[in-house]
Amino acid sequence: MSGQTQSIAFDKASREKAADILAMWVFIGSEAMLFGAIFLVFLIAHMNYGAAFAAASKHLSLRLGTLNTAILITSSFTMALAHMYSADGRWRAAIWSLAATSLLGLGFLAVKAVEYSKEFSDGLAPVLGAPFSYTGPDPVHAEFFFGLYFAMTFLHALHLIAGILAIAGVLALWSHANPAGRARRIQAVGLYWHFVDIVWVFLFPILYLINRG
Amino acid sequence: MGEIRKLSFAYAGLLTLLGLTVGSSFVDLGGFNSAINLAIAAAKTAVIALSFMHLTSKGLPRLVVAAVGLWLVILFGLTLVGQ
Amino acid sequence: MSVSAAAANYLGEGSGPRAWLLTTDHKRVAWLYLVSLTAFFFLGGAFAVLIRIELATPAGDLVSDDVYNRLFSLHGIIMVWFFLVPSIPATLGNFLLPLMIGARDLAFPRLNLASWYVFIFGSFFALFSVVAGGVDTGWTFYTPLSTLYANGFVSSAALGVFIVGFSTIMTGINFIVTVHTLRAPGLTWFRLPIFVWTMYATALVMVLATPVLAASLILIVLERVFGIGIFNPRLGGDPLLFQHLFWFYSHPAVYIMILPGMGVVSEVLPCFSRRPLFGYKAVALSSMAIAVFGFLVWGHHMFVSGQSAYAGVVFSFLSFCVAIPSAIKVFNWSLTLRKGEISFETSMLYALFFLALFTFGGLAGLFLAALAIDEHVHDTYFVVAHFHYIMVGGMVTAYMAGLHFWWPKLTGRMYSETWGRIAATVTFLGFNLTFFPQYVLGFLGMPRRYHTYPPEFQFWHVLSSGGAVVLAIGYLLPLFYLTWSLFRGARAPDNPWQATGLEWQTSSPPPPHNFETMPVVTRPAYAYDMKGLEHERFSPHLEAGQ
Repeated sequence: MSGQTQSIAFDKASREKAADILAMWVFIGSEAMLFGAIFLVFLIAHMNYGAAFAAASKHLSLRLGTLNTAILITSSFTMALAHMYSADGRWRAAIWSLAATSLLGLGFLAVKAVEYSKEFSDGLAPVLGAPFSYTGPDPVHAEFFFGLYFAMTFLHALHLIAGILAIAGVLALWSHANPAGRARRIQAVGLYWHFVDIVWVFLFPILYLINRG
Repeated sequence: MGEIRKLSFAYAGLLTLLGLTVGSSFVDLGGFNSAINLAIAAAKTAVIALSFMHLTSKGLPRLVVAAVGLWLVILFGLTLVGQ
Repeated sequence: MSVSAAAANYLGEGSGPRAWLLTTDHKRVAWLYLVSLTAFFFLGGAFAVLIRIELATPAGDLVSDDVYNRLFSLHGIIMVWFFLVPSIPATLGNFLLPLMIGARDLAFPRLNLASWYVFIFGSFFALFSVVAGGVDTGWTFYTPLSTLYANGFVSSAALGVFIVGFSTIMTGINFIVTVHTLRAPGLTWFRLPIFVWTMYATALVMVLATPVLAASLILIVLERVFGIGIFNPRLGGDPLLFQHLFWFYSHPAVYIMILPGMGVVSEVLPCFSRRPLFGYKAVALSSMAIAVFGFLVWGHHMFVSGQSAYAGVVFSFLSFCVAIPSAIKVFNWSLTLRKGEISFETSMLYALFFLALFTFGGLAGLFLAALAIDEHVHDTYFVVAHFHYIMVGGMVTAYMAGLHFWWPKLTGRMYSETWGRIAATVTFLGFNLTFFPQYVLGFLGMPRRYHTYPPEFQFWHVLSSGGAVVLAIGYLLPLFYLTWSLFRGARAPDNPWQATGLEWQTSSPPPPHNFETMPVVTRPAYAYDMKGLEHERFSPHLEAGQ
């Protein structure tokens, strides 16, 4: 029995699995507080400068933002598939699903990079001293909006990169882990991945969709 | 099989919700645009949590989610009191 | 000492640096933390001594104002994040939590070791700030001072605190999961020792509050390094919002610091008065209540910062409410002593001093919760005295109580009771001499964070500085006699204080996996009124002759 548990503290693999899941949820709860605080900063800024934020929001690319949302939702789907296949012991299918998930994650980052470079060249990136040449109304508060946009999406992108590295880690350690260990790791990475997706589900409307009408 | 059907339904639902939220933003609803966007984001979260993250069956994870929800209410509520 | 006896306990499982630095044994990780935290405690203390020497005279003759700003900033940053927050949880908590619930280890032993490495990694950033020239923002990193004006090494200090936050969260997750999943058969929630309850409550606060601090520090670093102006008033950013986020963490962080101390005292007081803890359930639940209510009061740090008067009234009311669960605890501790067979071992002395100092500091907190009085004493030495009574008088005293109480279990050695009692008394006297004058100073109007002051304040400042010297001696003494006991102390029996609790049912020091046979619990905690505990009590008088 002890060969099936990773930590010496546990007697039974089922108990350890429950502990793993609880730990991931507590960690996700902790991450939710991190993003919650930053969303609060955005909310208060939005309450104070709604008009400027709405105008500035129109300068973000809705096409690329929507595309990225679809990409992330799809990656969550493939992640859920990986978990399902690993629970059934269909390891080949699980590997393919994980690979697809991480590729979709990379795709998201590529699209994000295109957006960033466009915003830098359009003078919409008040970052690292880059020139800021916004032509709409109330450029001061628009600068605030773009600052928040870069801060929030950058933090989200860092989390996504961590998720991709975690998937890479699961695949790299594949042959070293026993089946129970693999399934546990896939489940843990999966929970994290879905959480990062949920963060984007909120970031997308508050940044891109303030008012397109 | 049942599981893959459930996941596919959830996936289709998420894409539909994405379409709805993008579409609604082109209609000027006054102050309601943000409310609809946030409601749809919450709905998407529920779909992801219940079907992809299997929040349905376990007791303790639900407790964690409830606690975090309460703490976010405290953080937002008491900060906005001062605004 | 025979070879087989050496191998039977966790200290005998290899002694090279590898055996310690790559250990996943929670008892050894506790030692890694204990050594590093002790170093930080004395580093932070050294800054405090310099501050007090400067303040012995009204003129700023020892250090310049700029250096003084750096001294109190580094004192605060190091003491809060590199000593107080991890102090009891990472050392005694790490060591005792699995023992107290009858587990072989924490749920995630490797995560536990990783948390120490993250702590050390973060501390390099903070130490870099110290060596490179210091930080001058105070421990609070208030914007826009920290983002637009401060010329110290704010980013690396903030990054250090940010990284150490990860280590805190790792510990928190580990504790929460351990308490939920690894309790021994029969150990129901209401049979848990109060120390476990407080560790659980502390872990809850760690996990829910630390990320909000992380968020605010990220935004500061983004502003300083990437030029993204989140709190910059020029762009319409709100510096006050930083204070909201900061205190959403930092007020509950006070409870991260004090709750474990309450847990220690709840173990020590019943043991040395031979009585069950009075009102066990009330004490257990009040720990959870403190963890929750602690999040509702942060605005009392901002009464004069320009938040709305309405918010001020709300936060003032809630701050009075948070005193209730603390008061419940104080009353229950006092009633535990009533009719007890009290004996004054070193850890009991520390615990009683905790009770006095915590109550004294806590009552001053009620003064500060009142809007009108806070207006008068805000940012004066009154506030400084108040939180030092809680954090040093309360928390550090409880830490010393716990260290002395469980030292035989940690090391398998006894220390000198005589020296222990002397150190406890010196600490108590030195502490009061240092900080009571600061209440008076604050009430007279001496603002905090100034390196000069009008001559009429000198009498109180000299008292305080003299007290600091006594206090320093009080803290240095245990460093010597505890270290000495490691090598020369008498062998400790398994249960020297005849205490209840699973940690005393195993050998001193415990075997590598804590218990030879996994325990089953049939009794409530603190069953000091039950028979069967009267054997093998350690007698310092008998052992002293050896």
